[in-house]
Amino acid sequence: MTELRLHRDLYVGTAVDEAVAVFAPHATLERHDAPSHWVVQITAATPQRERRVAGELGNYALGLTVKGRRR
Amino acid sequence: MTQLVQLGKRSTSFAMPFRHRAVDGKVLITNTEGNFLVLSPEEFARFSEGDVAKGSPLYLRLAERNFVRAEVDTRRMTERLRARKTFLNYGPNLHIAVVTLRCNETCVYCHASRADMSATHTDMTRETATKTVDLVFQSTNPSVTSEFQGGEPLVNFDVVKHIIEVAREKNRTAGKRLEFTMVSNLSLLDEEKLAYLVDNHVQICTSIDGPEHLHDKQRKLPGLSAHKTATYWIKRINDAYAKMGLDPTLYHVEALLTTTRETLPKWKEVVDTYADLGCRALFLRPVDPFGFADKTALRVEYPRGEYLEFYRNAVDYILELNKRGVEILERFAAIFLTKILGGEDPNFLDIRSPCGAGIGQIAYNYDGKVFTCDEGRMLHEMGDSTFLLGDVAVPDGAGEGAVRSHYRELMGHETVRALAIASNLDAQPDCVNCTYQPYCGVCPVHNHRTQGSIFGRMRESTLCAVHKGIQDYLFTKIGQGDRETLEILQRWTTVRDRTHFLQTCAT
Amino acid sequence: MCYASVTEGPHSGMTMDLQGIPTGLASLDLGAASASIRVDGAAYPLDALYGAAYVFIDRCYVLLDRPDGADGAWRVTLAWKKGEPTAEQLRALAGEFANELLSCAWRSQIARESRAMIESVTAQALGGAMGPPSLDDLEKYDFSEETFEDPLGIAMSWEEKHKKKARADDPGAVPAPLQEKKS
Repeated sequence: MTELRLHRDLYVGTAVDEAVAVFAPHATLERHDAPSHWVVQITAATPQRERRVAGELGNYALGLTVKGRRR
Repeated sequence: MTQLVQLGKRSTSFAMPFRHRAVDGKVLITNTEGNFLVLSPEEFARFSEGDVAKGSPLYLRLAERNFVRAEVDTRRMTERLRARKTFLNYGPNLHIAVVTLRCNETCVYCHASRADMSATHTDMTRETATKTVDLVFQSTNPSVTSEFQGGEPLVNFDVVKHIIEVAREKNRTAGKRLEFTMVSNLSLLDEEKLAYLVDNHVQICTSIDGPEHLHDKQRKLPGLSAHKTATYWIKRINDAYAKMGLDPTLYHVEALLTTTRETLPKWKEVVDTYADLGCRALFLRPVDPFGFADKTALRVEYPRGEYLEFYRNAVDYILELNKRGVEILERFAAIFLTKILGGEDPNFLDIRSPCGAGIGQIAYNYDGKVFTCDEGRMLHEMGDSTFLLGDVAVPDGAGEGAVRSHYRELMGHETVRALAIASNLDAQPDCVNCTYQPYCGVCPVHNHRTQGSIFGRMRESTLCAVHKGIQDYLFTKIGQGDRETLEILQRWTTVRDRTHFLQTCAT
Repeated sequence: MCYASVTEGPHSGMTMDLQGIPTGLASLDLGAASASIRVDGAAYPLDALYGAAYVFIDRCYVLLDRPDGADGAWRVTLAWKKGEPTAEQLRALAGEFANELLSCAWRSQIARESRAMIESVTAQALGGAMGPPSLDDLEKYDFSEETFEDPLGIAMSWEEKHKKKARADDPGAVPAPLQEKKS
């Protein structure tokens, strides 16, 4: 299991929600949010796949957060 | 770092805002409206300390160029700024129609992502061509140039003719200054096509990479010498112009080259080739990162420092030829010198602020897709459609009025807006403080391709290195003050109208 | 060429400082195929951090965080997407990010200071290219859309502003004008 921790000061919650929805088909994703972080636990067939899903999900959430700031 | 100048207490009240740069042991200063002076280190020290006696020769030189706060002429400043930005008042004047991707030559540095001669699906249809002409005439610019490119545009000559005929017909009512140009390798020309192009006043531009062995090594034409074919037709076209009574110093085929690693040591042979062909200009373009660049970079690319050494050697030689009476100029130099010495903007779309992406030029792909510029179109062919603006084939309501609003939507596209901001040198780190800012330009598409954002980082930009290096060279020459050289450089800024290529409504 | 000095770190791989960069500001982890940079929030605004991070998401995984106990500092982790990078490659990635961050921070400052000029040039450029709207364009424009607040009622027509109730026997009558004040 790989844990992705996204700081609440830096990532928008709705962006994380949307990223989780997009990547749900690619791994088992569970949310266990902490006071300071949005937390996504990623379980997949291999550690490499978990790393990849974590990285792409994080990038996706970052992209949506940045895009949301333009409005 | 070597300290060029030792400054005492700097004055904050003597000088108008200026930028400075060490060039060839002297100090170049420029101001907002693009005036410049080349000062000795001692003169610069006195200038920045405010220690210049009123009425002294240095004071008069500075005041005349609006560098002295007490003497500033704001009216003149405004006029000069306005002259540099006239192009902002008008929309795209250059409309590039890529009539096919098919090409019968294979060039090692091809940036157009050419297709094989069997790829007829990459030919623009007459219907698409008509729609592109509709858009051309929506431009708010009273002057428009339709430029045929490819691939090799002669492969789809039928559509070239169609565009010419439709455009001329539309211009009967539109009344624009309409011109046509074609960028071609010339190998598919025959007497019939030549007659059509000459009779219809189409300007012709081609590529000559230098001497035959270099040209043919880089531009493969199956079974033939690409160089021999191109030079044959250059002479043939120039003869046709002469036969029509046109001034050969003004009317001739223009050629340009793409500088590859193999070109770098051959600067003299390249210049001699152009001079022997009777060319009046050569454009020493460095290789760019589009098209096949990824695959061929190992073979053709080079550090920009080496390109600049090639450039200096070549232009030194060109100047020497000029002194011997051979009239030939280098195009990069002419563009910068027009801004530096002439105070005007020649509207070269890649070197202006903001650049011409969308607002100065539009590229129409063979399939009707519309791009901010040819570089944006090239990226699309590489799989990156960031600079796609629209599609002439997209229906937009019924009736003729629909095309008009479509044009405005393209011009108001957020990508066009983003590129206008990204290429505004007053908004760009580094450029904002650069001494060459009044004369220079950036390419957001180049930045995007090489650095991942349309803004880029100029210290790491190969394009910035080229622009700075060329301007360093030019200001070195200006600063050296050789009268004969200065006269030649001044002559390079003279633009003579080639009215023969203007399409008149009567014909 | 050696790019790193090696120390033990908390992660699965060894963390190394980057040559030429003060200790604690940046490190790389070959085992995790990543480089981390500590960013001073006072020197680099958040907009710049986002701007720089966004530029890199196509070539690496970018994770933004706040180091524990760090006041006003951010941490950026750049993780290589595929394969095993060398220390040199990670150092170059971190260095390029730092340059982009600086560029974004400076651009943000320039945009604030020169906003009026930038907007003016952009408006002129787009206006010159677009030209005035045609009658067809105006016909399609939705003027009913509320685009601005109008507390003084300046955009209101005179009739709307001063209308009186119509007489019962003449519902279509134009309201009578206001009486002029006698001087």
